Amino acid sequence: MYLPDFEYYAPATLSEACDLLEKLGPEAKVFAGGTDVLSKMKQELLFPKAIVSLKNLGGLSEIRLGNNNDVIIGAKATHNNLIDSPVLQEKYPSLCNAARQMANNQVRNIGTVGGNIVNAVPSADLPPLLIALGAKIKLVGATGERVLPLEDFFTGPNKSVIEQDEILTEFIIEEQPFTGSTYIKFALRRSGALAVASVAAAVAMEGNVCRKARIVLGAVAPTPLRAKKAEEMLTGKEITDELLEEAGSAASKESKPISDIRGSEEYRRDLVRVLTGRALRKAINEGHV
Amino acid sequence: MQKIEDHSGTKYYLITLKVNGDSYTRAVKANTLLVNVLREDLDLTGTKKGCELGDCGSCTVLLDGKPVNSCLILALEADGHEITTIEGLAQNDKPDKLQEAFVENAAIQCGYCTPGMIMSAKALLTRNPHPTEGEVREAIAGNLCRCTGYVNIVKAIMSAAEEQQ
Amino acid sequence: MGDNYEVIGKSVPRIDGVAKATGRAKYTGDLKFPNMLVGKILHSPHAHARILNIDTSEAEKLPGVKAVITHRDVPSTKYGLSPARWDETIFCIDKVRFVGDKVAAVAAVDEETAYKALKLIKVDYEVLPAVFDPYEALKEGAPQIFEEYPGNVNTEIHQHFGDVDKAFEEAYHVRRDFFSGQRTYHSPLEPHASIAFWEGDKVTIYCSTQSVHYLQYHLARVFGMPMGNIRVLKTHVGGGFGGKIDPTGLDFSAVKLSQITGRPVKMLFDRKEMFYNNRGRHAQYMELTTGVTKEGKILGVHANFVMDGGAYTGLGVASAYYAGALLTVLYDFDNYKFDMVRAVTNLPGCGAQRGHGQPQPRFAFESHLDHIAEDLGIDPLEIRIINARKPKTVTINDFRVDSYALKEALEKAREISGWRDKKGKLPPGRGIGVGNGGFVSGAGYPCYRTDLPQAVAIIKVHDDGSMATLYTGAVEIGQGSDTVLLQMAAEAMGYPLEKMRIVASDTDLATHDFGAYASRQTLMSGWAVKKAGEEIKDKILKTAAEMMLVVPEQLDVKQGIVFLKAHPEESLTFEEVARTYFVKYGQLIGQGSYKPPKLGGTFKGAAVGTSPAYSAATQVAEVEIDEETGEIKVIEAWDVHDCGMVINPALLHAQVHGAFYMGMGESIWEEVLFDENGDVANGNLAEYRMPTALDMPPVTSELVDSIDPNAPWGVKEVGEGATTPTMACLANAIYDAMGVRIESLPLTYEKVWRALKEKREKEKEKA
Repeated sequence: MYLPDFEYYAPATLSEACDLLEKLGPEAKVFAGGTDVLSKMKQELLFPKAIVSLKNLGGLSEIRLGNNNDVIIGAKATHNNLIDSPVLQEKYPSLCNAARQMANNQVRNIGTVGGNIVNAVPSADLPPLLIALGAKIKLVGATGERVLPLEDFFTGPNKSVIEQDEILTEFIIEEQPFTGSTYIKFALRRSGALAVASVAAAVAMEGNVCRKARIVLGAVAPTPLRAKKAEEMLTGKEITDELLEEAGSAASKESKPISDIRGSEEYRRDLVRVLTGRALRKAINEGHV
Repeated sequence: MQKIEDHSGTKYYLITLKVNGDSYTRAVKANTLLVNVLREDLDLTGTKKGCELGDCGSCTVLLDGKPVNSCLILALEADGHEITTIEGLAQNDKPDKLQEAFVENAAIQCGYCTPGMIMSAKALLTRNPHPTEGEVREAIAGNLCRCTGYVNIVKAIMSAAEEQQ
Repeated sequence: MGDNYEVIGKSVPRIDGVAKATGRAKYTGDLKFPNMLVGKILHSPHAHARILNIDTSEAEKLPGVKAVITHRDVPSTKYGLSPARWDETIFCIDKVRFVGDKVAAVAAVDEETAYKALKLIKVDYEVLPAVFDPYEALKEGAPQIFEEYPGNVNTEIHQHFGDVDKAFEEAYHVRRDFFSGQRTYHSPLEPHASIAFWEGDKVTIYCSTQSVHYLQYHLARVFGMPMGNIRVLKTHVGGGFGGKIDPTGLDFSAVKLSQITGRPVKMLFDRKEMFYNNRGRHAQYMELTTGVTKEGKILGVHANFVMDGGAYTGLGVASAYYAGALLTVLYDFDNYKFDMVRAVTNLPGCGAQRGHGQPQPRFAFESHLDHIAEDLGIDPLEIRIINARKPKTVTINDFRVDSYALKEALEKAREISGWRDKKGKLPPGRGIGVGNGGFVSGAGYPCYRTDLPQAVAIIKVHDDGSMATLYTGAVEIGQGSDTVLLQMAAEAMGYPLEKMRIVASDTDLATHDFGAYASRQTLMSGWAVKKAGEEIKDKILKTAAEMMLVVPEQLDVKQGIVFLKAHPEESLTFEEVARTYFVKYGQLIGQGSYKPPKLGGTFKGAAVGTSPAYSAATQVAEVEIDEETGEIKVIEAWDVHDCGMVINPALLHAQVHGAFYMGMGESIWEEVLFDENGDVANGNLAEYRMPTALDMPPVTSELVDSIDPNAPWGVKEVGEGATTPTMACLANAIYDAMGVRIESLPLTYEKVWRALKEKREKEKEKA
């Protein structure tokens, strides 16, 4: 395998990077860890004429507490940075566990959170839980910046609302009402396998009553998908096994899986049902795991 | 990073890698991968190419102490960083304890995955000198081995960890 | 075992261990020669197409490109590992037959330039209809892939021993089941590599190969050169498993490109190209009918199989015969019928993969046998004990089996796995299963017809006796043959292992041997090594007798000390005796050669499956099934092996671990998939899922005592036989856990999920 030729830029500042992206146009590709970009280029699935590396941009890999107990995750943080982050281990260990399920240790040392999002792969491991936790993202462009819910970011496989000149710089997880959250991935091998189906759940419990629930499905639609009907079924209700099963069935109906080499549509739909119940139970009973 | 152009306009970048404690400066093209600099320019062929897509771990080296797939890293991105390859573990030709444990526990067959496997294990033991078996398996899950079923590999890593005690 | 020996029977560390652990070990792709070029092959993008025109002019113009070759530049001689069907050419001439077929090759100053040059080769194709399924290929009106195989029938086998129909009539119970096995690929971690360079009219090829001999033979045949002008050698090989026994396009292209350019040319496959080259396991479709007595004794078996061969034959005819031939070995029955059709399709060609042709039939038969046991109300392990072959017997298809401890293996497996406490008694979702297997210890006959010996070995003792070198053509591919053969040489000579060196698998410097396939080297190469060592020992004892003024019969030699048997304190060192020999008679050399006696019957295909000795193995495994998702977790596995005398227990058990691992991967996770155009859909190691360290359960490997009279010190094979029980063992464990039978490999989570769903629906209907 080989990498086709490309121009390489490593701007020193964010604004320089955005200007460069604007100038270079759609054939330029932002490059953070590069694990996804390089493997796609080697497989001739991606042919960028230019690569704009973020390696010289400082401060984008920090994971810290911001105002109002917001958790701020720099987009250049690697998956292993997430796993090792004391802030996350304290606030959202579920995110550490979700990060741990991506690829393998070597890739987690290089692959960034930002990359995992911007690639917009439907089976990516971080988006479902980040959406469930209501994460917002900051996009910085040549002419300004914007903050939007991650939920509104994806538009299709490998497609999102990001503009040519924009760079994803950070995630903001505001203080949540949720008492528990989790991500369950179903894959065909215990490591190094893409999700066949995945479910993230976040719940705000008061005793046995669910005040709020978010359920986000992965790998079963063109984008990560909120199972809103299932969420509504739970809101304000006392949790019973039956209710969880109904929520699972509702989520299953809301999913829009395709058949591919990893699993049939029918199988995925049923996995959503099972995993939704399991994720909810886990988030309800075990907190942020 | 200094950029140079040859007569045909091809751009080269001057990079410096600190490999196994020594500094090497080389002119590379943007599309040069770290694994190719190590193998072809520095003749450090202990780092293997298995799948070239980050799935097998044969090309694992330590980048600032962390195991990474050198097939998915641009040489330019490694500029200025410290890299340890399998050749960097033995001291004056005396194998590292972990390397010895692999030999003694029959953890090697064809040997093609071995360097990458040892680098992953080395990083684990540096970070976590007394891992559980589960932690060992997790640490080497990105290193595929087609020969051993990992049985003796896990045994070797655990025994090297015990020896450290 | 091994107590009476000095060097064999001991777990010495492998001799290449330190080199491999430190990264010093060089594989073919690691080698560099001055002025070396890099070559690449252009592969067909179509599954079936006529080649109208190939224009290489643009590629040739690219700076750095030194040569571009197509079929016009190379011989059109057809080849294939087995002469049964020579149907492949170096490059396609008139048409391409699968996505990945070889069309052209380039040599350039570096890899990047070579890849760029490939893109500049223009090939005009007329796309033809393609067929990807063997049943479709066998239908009337299907696209014809080869002129020489009308109806796409590549091989047809009809064998009948005894009278199966009569056996079924007399049987208490006759059962028929249908199973299928998928395409898998060996996936060695080291991609194939080949480097060629010429000196005058002689060419040298470094190759990542399992047989230097076969490669030399085929290169000589295709290029019309004397074998002596071709030197094939190898360095370390990063695994083979059957995938590196066939010559590849890399070898032929490197030789030609190097000849044209006058420079060394290195060629490598990338991972996807390895899937194109393939020669992996055939997909097989297997109908089995068996008649048994009330007590479970097998009376007769009919195996009716179809095999998908892919585009080129290679060793595939042997695969087809193996599929049926070895079904007769494990269990003793007198009536057997084997029907097989091997079809060609527009997919990569299949061949031999660990266990050659028979792991899937074993999966089928061992699953089938569990059904029969259930029908009769007999414990699955018990029905195997009832039918297990006894030693010193001959199979219905004329294989002589001298040592055979399958019954003992079954009994030991029952003990160590806790079978009696677990079978039918595990908690919901858990299950235990058993499967048997085994293999030949070397094929009785080489891949092509020849009267050459199977193996030759030479041992040369250094002039002063301080070192000895074993020369062998046996091929170390990771299994440990260099270490094991040195242990054998040292044992036979009475010499310390530490002083031995090896020169192996180099057609110029080492000796003749057919190489690493069919689990042959420990027995066959081992015989040659033992004889060579014994010749040295004879010479040492004779010389020592002259020095000590005794007769040789009074002496023995062990670990480098020659001594009087009656007074061991009266001794000489091997070194001083060897030096005396050198001074008196010249170089101290021992030579051994091995050729098995005539084996097998006289019917068509009688040679396939013959062997001097047969291994036997029982595996038991425990699984846990997630009843909602079908996810399978393999909890633990036990293997008990009859593999004769063991030369190096540590290496042997490591073979069992790896064989179970590969069998487990094939059972549950691994399958080569294709898209609608016939291109490999998962030609990478993310989607071709070999198990990771997290998927692998603990494995206990144990032995039963057995010594085979036809083998040096009584050795038998282990590496391939240990893959053959696994698939059924896991399928049977799943059945025990959930009551669902998955009849097609791989036993994916989705198939288990679907079977459970269907079972629930049926139960609902009933209720």
